[in-house]
Amino acid sequence: MKYNLKFFLLLLVTSFIVNSGCKKFLDEELLGERSDLQFYQTAEDAELALTGIYNSLSFAEANNRIWVFGDVASDDAAKGGIPGDQADIGLIDDFNITTTNGNLENVWNLYYEGVSRANWLLDNIGGINMNQERKDEITGEAKFLRAYYYYRLASVFGDIPVHISVPTPQEMQKPATPVDEVFTNVIIPDLNEAASKLPETASAGRATKYSAWGLLTKCYLFLKKWPEAENAASQVINTGFYSLEQLYSDNFEHLTKDNQEVIFSVQHLAGQDPWLGNRLNQWFAPRENNGYGFNVPTQNFVDAFEITSAGVVDPRLDYTVGREGQIWYDTIAFDSTWSPTGYLNRKYIQPLAEVSKESKADGELNYQYIRYSDILMMMAEALNEQGKSGEAVIFINMIRTRARESYKYDPLLPGYPNIPDGLLPDVQDNGQNGVREALRHERRVELGFEFHRYFDIIRYGPEYANQAFQDKPNFNYETNKFMPIPQKELDTNFEL
Amino acid sequence: MKNIFIWTIVLGALILSHSAFTQSITGIITDEFEMPLPGVSVYVKGTTLGSVTDFDGLYTLLINEGDITGETLTLVISYVGYKTQEYVFPVDPAAEITKNIILSEDIETLEEFVVVGYGVQKASDVTGAVSSIKTDEITNLPVTRLDQALAGKAAGVQVNETTGQPGESVKVRIRGIGTINNNDPLYIVDGVPTKEISGILNPEDIESMTVLKDAASAAIYGARAGNGVVIIKTKKGISQKPLISYNGYVGVQTYGHLTPMANADEYIDIFNEAAANDGRKPIPQDIYPQLVNTDWMRSIFQPAVMTNHQLTFSGGSEKSTYLIGGGYLSQEGIILNSGYEKVNFRLNLSSNLSEKVSIGTNLTFVYSSQDIIGGSGDGYGGNGGSVVRYAFFRTPPTSIYNDDGTYMDLPNYEGYPRADLNTWFGDGYNPVGLANKYDWTANLYRTFGNIYLNWEIIPGLTFRTDFGIDLNVMDEKRFNENWGTDGRINNPSSLTKGMGINYTWNWTNSLTYNKTFKEKHKFSALLGTEALKNTNHQQWGSDREFPDQSSYLRYLGNGLTLNKGANEIETGWSLLSVFGRVNYNFASRYLAEAVIRADGSSRFSEDHRWGVFYSGSVGWNIHNESFLSEARWLNQFKLRLSLGQTGNQEIGLYNYLSIVSPGYNYPYGGVVYNGYVVSSLGNTNTTWETTTTYDIGLDFAFLDDRLALITDYYWRYTSDMLVPVPLPPSGGDANPPFVNAGEVLNQGFEAELMWREIKPNFKYEINGNIAILKNEVKKLGGGRPIAAGRVDNGVFATLTEEGYPIGSFFMYEMDGIFQNELEIFSSPYQGPDIEPGDVKFKDLNGDNVIDANDRTHVGSAIPKLIYGLTFNFSWKNFDLSIFFQGVHGNSIYMQVNQDIEGFYRGFNVTKRFYDNHWTGEGSTNEYPRASWVGAANNKVASTRFLASGTYLRIKNLSLGYNIPLDETSWVQALRVYFSVQNAYTITKYPGLDPEMYNSNNLQGENVQNPDLASGIDWGTYPIPRIYTLGVNFNF
Repeated sequence: MKYNLKFFLLLLVTSFIVNSGCKKFLDEELLGERSDLQFYQTAEDAELALTGIYNSLSFAEANNRIWVFGDVASDDAAKGGIPGDQADIGLIDDFNITTTNGNLENVWNLYYEGVSRANWLLDNIGGINMNQERKDEITGEAKFLRAYYYYRLASVFGDIPVHISVPTPQEMQKPATPVDEVFTNVIIPDLNEAASKLPETASAGRATKYSAWGLLTKCYLFLKKWPEAENAASQVINTGFYSLEQLYSDNFEHLTKDNQEVIFSVQHLAGQDPWLGNRLNQWFAPRENNGYGFNVPTQNFVDAFEITSAGVVDPRLDYTVGREGQIWYDTIAFDSTWSPTGYLNRKYIQPLAEVSKESKADGELNYQYIRYSDILMMMAEALNEQGKSGEAVIFINMIRTRARESYKYDPLLPGYPNIPDGLLPDVQDNGQNGVREALRHERRVELGFEFHRYFDIIRYGPEYANQAFQDKPNFNYETNKFMPIPQKELDTNFEL
Repeated sequence: MKNIFIWTIVLGALILSHSAFTQSITGIITDEFEMPLPGVSVYVKGTTLGSVTDFDGLYTLLINEGDITGETLTLVISYVGYKTQEYVFPVDPAAEITKNIILSEDIETLEEFVVVGYGVQKASDVTGAVSSIKTDEITNLPVTRLDQALAGKAAGVQVNETTGQPGESVKVRIRGIGTINNNDPLYIVDGVPTKEISGILNPEDIESMTVLKDAASAAIYGARAGNGVVIIKTKKGISQKPLISYNGYVGVQTYGHLTPMANADEYIDIFNEAAANDGRKPIPQDIYPQLVNTDWMRSIFQPAVMTNHQLTFSGGSEKSTYLIGGGYLSQEGIILNSGYEKVNFRLNLSSNLSEKVSIGTNLTFVYSSQDIIGGSGDGYGGNGGSVVRYAFFRTPPTSIYNDDGTYMDLPNYEGYPRADLNTWFGDGYNPVGLANKYDWTANLYRTFGNIYLNWEIIPGLTFRTDFGIDLNVMDEKRFNENWGTDGRINNPSSLTKGMGINYTWNWTNSLTYNKTFKEKHKFSALLGTEALKNTNHQQWGSDREFPDQSSYLRYLGNGLTLNKGANEIETGWSLLSVFGRVNYNFASRYLAEAVIRADGSSRFSEDHRWGVFYSGSVGWNIHNESFLSEARWLNQFKLRLSLGQTGNQEIGLYNYLSIVSPGYNYPYGGVVYNGYVVSSLGNTNTTWETTTTYDIGLDFAFLDDRLALITDYYWRYTSDMLVPVPLPPSGGDANPPFVNAGEVLNQGFEAELMWREIKPNFKYEINGNIAILKNEVKKLGGGRPIAAGRVDNGVFATLTEEGYPIGSFFMYEMDGIFQNELEIFSSPYQGPDIEPGDVKFKDLNGDNVIDANDRTHVGSAIPKLIYGLTFNFSWKNFDLSIFFQGVHGNSIYMQVNQDIEGFYRGFNVTKRFYDNHWTGEGSTNEYPRASWVGAANNKVASTRFLASGTYLRIKNLSLGYNIPLDETSWVQALRVYFSVQNAYTITKYPGLDPEMYNSNNLQGENVQNPDLASGIDWGTYPIPRIYTLGVNFNF
């Protein structure tokens, strides 16, 4: 009995010790992944986090619908595609917009995620021990990108909630900040700091000092602060780094896409996993070639291009739009049945020789966000609005000259290398109103399908907008100058 | 002289052969109605001498001299369902004894032993809510997984197939849905816990299956018992002559109900009507000669065979027993290119090392292989889309094959531009091609089992140590072949290959003590500890651009891309527990039990790891009271009360950490850089979810236990439910952290009824169960509801919100069809493009505008009522059983109808839409006009697509015959049977099958728990009807 008891006690005690003694038993480490406590520690981490912020720019993401708001909502484009496909885009086109429209959510989520990624880096970069110069540059790049995302959100939605550091779940319950304050208190300070910290040049796709100045120019135009806009634009112009490409179409072709005219672009690369290809190549291409055929130019847009008395049209029309009677790509003739309006936009389409039908979504063209010609026209606008119309026309004419001289440099244009008579004559200084009209026209035909038109229309004011949207009965300037905040945000943020 | 010599030798030999004396005992065993009983076990106690009665009930035992020590032998007669009898005879070498025996039925089912946590109890002593599954009702069911067999067998246990695809998982819910996190019950198989029961058991292996439903009974398993526990014991060897048993069947499977779809003429007709309505190009007459009429729905199905063979050897002596078995099961899928195959072995051994110590092992090995195709969803979850969905979509005028025998992808009729053909006939995938092009296999190698040692230290005090393992090795391969017109599908071709090991071990030590004082006071105590550790290690590789897609070249390394993928995951979790239980039983009249358990989990941060869970229950066997001792009609009347707590920690493994993930890259001027972002947010304060259950039960038995009724009312409250509180998207897209901030109530009523009657030659038994359930979310993370179940871009079908069930459907309510312009004008504003014939929605908030505020809760996927009813008859050698199973009060959202009745792109339409759509004022108030332009309004997620999921199904119909055998036959029992599984379904549900759980889409949605969005049908692989012919063979 005694023997039994001793043995049993020993066994019991052993098993209990073994079983319950090891506190360490319940420690399970995170393996193969990093937690936020182990990240944002080194210079390497900063670069990795920075690239994550750039990642939100990309059109490799099918949900990047900024083109719906920039182009389709405007008088330049209609939805396109098969009837019934992506019906929500059609609702935006018609200004029949409810808070549950999927495109609102796509843009909101995408760009706020970009903001969040920037906030994570900016909150933590202070503590990283690394080369100060690069640290400043990274800070500059992150601030530029954050400003870009807020700029997009503010132009689309107007009054928006703002976070400039990573919020806790409680802090995420935030009311909206009025749009003008978003610009003056968030976007512009970020860009000023970026401008001071960014380098003058960098590899293609990275933000530079002049990208910041370029975006600052846009901000000042939005706020109608003309002298500041003039100053910002002149920062870019006076460096001499940038100039207009000889050929307008160089900006929209693979081999020449990274050039001296590009101030900031969104980059893509084919054949990558995870995907980094430009999906717009598929979204805007004809269904015949495995595309979806969206974002189709309207007759109104096509009619906006000047035609000489001899019938020669502004060459930028055919660089921007595919139409009946013209070659589409390679040797394929454009077929107007490819589109419900008879036209397709071509700035993001690559020839089949470059991107095959099968891998249509793997495009490599940039989205050229800020081109030098945009800066020149913004300078012209700033000058004109300050009454300096004489100086303004100089800049406008630089654009027109480049367009006109396509005939000198593009062997495919009929009549090359002679410029047809009366093509795109220089604009004369006939007063502020006249120059304003000329400038607005020039902006439209120069920057067609670069996702700026709708924002320009709204910026120009109700008179211009109502004129532009004559054939859209649902358009109301006050209601539609900004889009409604998406339902998902309204359902989770109770301060709105 | 020689003759006499020979004869002397012969005679001598004969005499000598009898010189070893043999005692024989023989007789006939019958039941109370003088029917002979075959297969009755007759053996001599304490020896290996034994026999079994033949078909005439005759047994013969021959005992040789020296076989038995001692002067007497005890003959034991035992037979399942009958009272065991014993007879003592003197050992007399020359005796020839004849003993005929009459056995009486042991129908005191409530005197059966019920397996409860860590032990057994007499059914009459149980104080918790426990359901026993009758194993003879589940043997022979043609199922590939044991949990499929649970359907309708126990009150309050709801079982749903995820889809009908062979090898697919099954959802088991005990007493409703307690949490938005994991709701799977815990299975204890021979003492080894697991949450995943696939493959390791066949219904034939089961000896007993008990469901522990309330906290009091389940609390002893604390840590993972919050959703109920199913305790399974497998068959072991018995101390008797070796028994060989074969069970096998062959079956044919077919599809059940198919939704009628429009044919080619009807399709063209309605297409052209819509084209006229919208001002678009109609399908021209001159293309008609080139068109065909394909019944796509039927083209994806094939008659499919199912076979199963199981063979077991079992036997033993008083010291050791064994059961060795193996089997093979194969189930072809009723949809092309799908199927499941399984090979299993089982080994159960036990041995008494001494009088006090016994050891044993229960091991099973399984190899299973599943050929997978898309069974649900539209591919958003990564499975490539459901084949059934594409069969709905594909328009009838297209063919299955091109002239050259390849699958026709985009129709290419002569003389018409591609864009027009795509618009007229659609660009949905060819479902036959899609099914056959799936090259997707998942193999699983599983070893599951335990070894144990039992030591009776002193009488009444037993120590048991039990070590269990669950080792899973999996490999999965998926090749996406590039095919289709211009190679548009799966471009470039890609291969994903993964292998992994998931290994869990557990070690339990327990000490039990039983003592009875003064005959009336029975006391028992249990004290134990348990440690559990899991490691999961997976490696995945991917490759793309295969220049040669032949199947022998579908291996990593053969792709042309330089961007090969390699991915490795390693995770682990562990649990540590201490538990104790005390039982007190006074004269089987007053019963009490108390349990306490403390659990620590690695999933919480150090300060929040441990949870302590209590429970207690009492019972009163009123029929044992003196004032009821005269009531002979009342065999049992028991009152049970229980209250207990259990815990749940089945959330992500590292929820207290925010995770930073790679893969957010960007190319700067053609050079790719890697990018990392914070992909999910953590919360260091997370801790255990607690479920508190109250249960009150009344058990009755009447008429000599021929009629029994078990009833329960329960109230099950989950608090500190871990909720991923949805965060505003303006705070970023990272997955939100879990917060212990939710509360859910499940309450309901259950009843189980049993009625049996035995007459000469005829016996019948009726078993029924019914459960009523109400599920309600009481609190949810500061009142922020969770939207889930994406059915369209940015549109979610369910909203989990305070005051409504989990996963409640939330959407617009349809209010008929606008018949004319005046009606549109005088109704609340619905949009600028509304025409007569469009769907009208209810303005629920009275603001005269239809917008997002006019959505409401319209139903739930959780049934209000579930029930099952089994009839078993036997007459002479025939037996018949009919099993009904049904649910009532649940809804299903038919997402696929949004596209095939919503008039979207070039997709086919249902026959009912073709026949009934709106064509003019007054034509119908249920289906809108045919128009794509109208789709923007008419396709909106609303009650238009919400259908009732109520069904009553004849789940199994089975007719068997016990073949009469020759008495000298070496075969002990032979039964043949014919059965139909899922014979017939009564339902109003228009889809293929009202029984489906959730779709694969939820993987893409990153929804933590599928119960948040179940009951959404994207076009789901239906459950087959199975006709089987089988045989049970014992020898």
